[in-house]
Amino acid sequence: MRDEDVLIGSLLEETWMTLEQLAAACAVEPDWLRHHLDEGLFPHTESVSGVWRFSAAALTRARRMRRIERDFEAVPELAALVADLLEELDAARARLRRAGLD
Amino acid sequence: MKYQDYYQILGVSRDAGPEEIKKAFRRLARKYHPDVSKEADAEARMQEVNEAYTVLSDPEKRAAYDRLGQGWHAGEEFRPPPDWGGEFHFGSHGFSPDEATEFSDFFSQLFGGLGGFGRQPRGFRSRGADHRAQVLLDIEDAFTGATRQLSLQQPQADAQGRVTLATRTLNVKIPPGVREGQIIRLAGQGEPGTGGPAGDLLLEVRFRPHARLRAEGRNLHMALPVAPWEAALGAVVPVQLPAGTLKVRIPEGSQSGRQLRVRGKGIPGSPAGDLLLDIQVVLPRADTPKARQLYETMARELAFDPRDAGRA
Repeated sequence: MRDEDVLIGSLLEETWMTLEQLAAACAVEPDWLRHHLDEGLFPHTESVSGVWRFSAAALTRARRMRRIERDFEAVPELAALVADLLEELDAARARLRRAGLD
Repeated sequence: MKYQDYYQILGVSRDAGPEEIKKAFRRLARKYHPDVSKEADAEARMQEVNEAYTVLSDPEKRAAYDRLGQGWHAGEEFRPPPDWGGEFHFGSHGFSPDEATEFSDFFSQLFGGLGGFGRQPRGFRSRGADHRAQVLLDIEDAFTGATRQLSLQQPQADAQGRVTLATRTLNVKIPPGVREGQIIRLAGQGEPGTGGPAGDLLLEVRFRPHARLRAEGRNLHMALPVAPWEAALGAVVPVQLPAGTLKVRIPEGSQSGRQLRVRGKGIPGSPAGDLLLDIQVVLPRADTPKARQLYETMARELAFDPRDAGRA
């Protein structure tokens, strides 16, 4: 393919990601994801007739949790707690931005 | 290729023990965590710290690194000794092959690049890893769509399996209706696979700050300044949007702080977002005799106390 060609992307969230796609996108093993899903560490994630589907937000969460677990040898529940707090921080920062206060 | 002083990066002495190295790494991992760090170059520094820890936390890699000797200084031009390589076999230590490809040239020269370090055997037909990047857009682009040129630094392996960073330029068409935080997937534009398909390139959408508009999902927030008589009597006022000018009716008796919602006039999509207008009543200055006279007439003839709790 030539570099000059124009690429047309598809928007995630309108397509959703499968478990394997999410695992590939955040460089984790699918088993790591399955284990964390079974333990309920991914809230707001749904499975439709046994098939998991993930939004773009789940991608950020998976990367964060894996990073906390690896860097600090944290247990998954602690990494999930940190991810919860970071998500609240994101939401609070977005509200400040919208109010023009950041 | 520049020499990397891994001891200096972690801030430990060359005879530091494993516990000390782990502690230094965790301290820096906390300092440069991208979600909370106040440092401007946190991500790049964390990359260095990860690389240094990958080497110094692994006895084999550390021993190999130490064999280079102490004569080197950080940033100095470096070539590995001619007899280097072949005798080491390095395992993976927490970092995936995808992450390790972001390490420096120095690292891949010493410890092998895509072909050597940490590669889990995936069989002959393995899919390439996905790559991620951010794409910075203007809010206007979400209305019209846009074509953006992206320059990406991507690791590429040469015939000997050595990894260098190559700049790759891509022209990407951004569809209309994108939201902040959304991910655009370019199928097959990630790392090439080994016998299997290439990985994907995932672009995360960010908006540049806009002078008047702020996006929240597909909803758009905007302040709408109005004159006191427009707010009091009601009016139809023009609102400039990326898609053109919109006429908006201000209801009679509007006050500052009231929010008007214009359905479907935010970022397009299915469903389209709403436009949320925050009314701000702006007072004309009393800097001419005529203006002063009008204010004085109102003061005299209107029974109005803004501090009266019972006012409408």
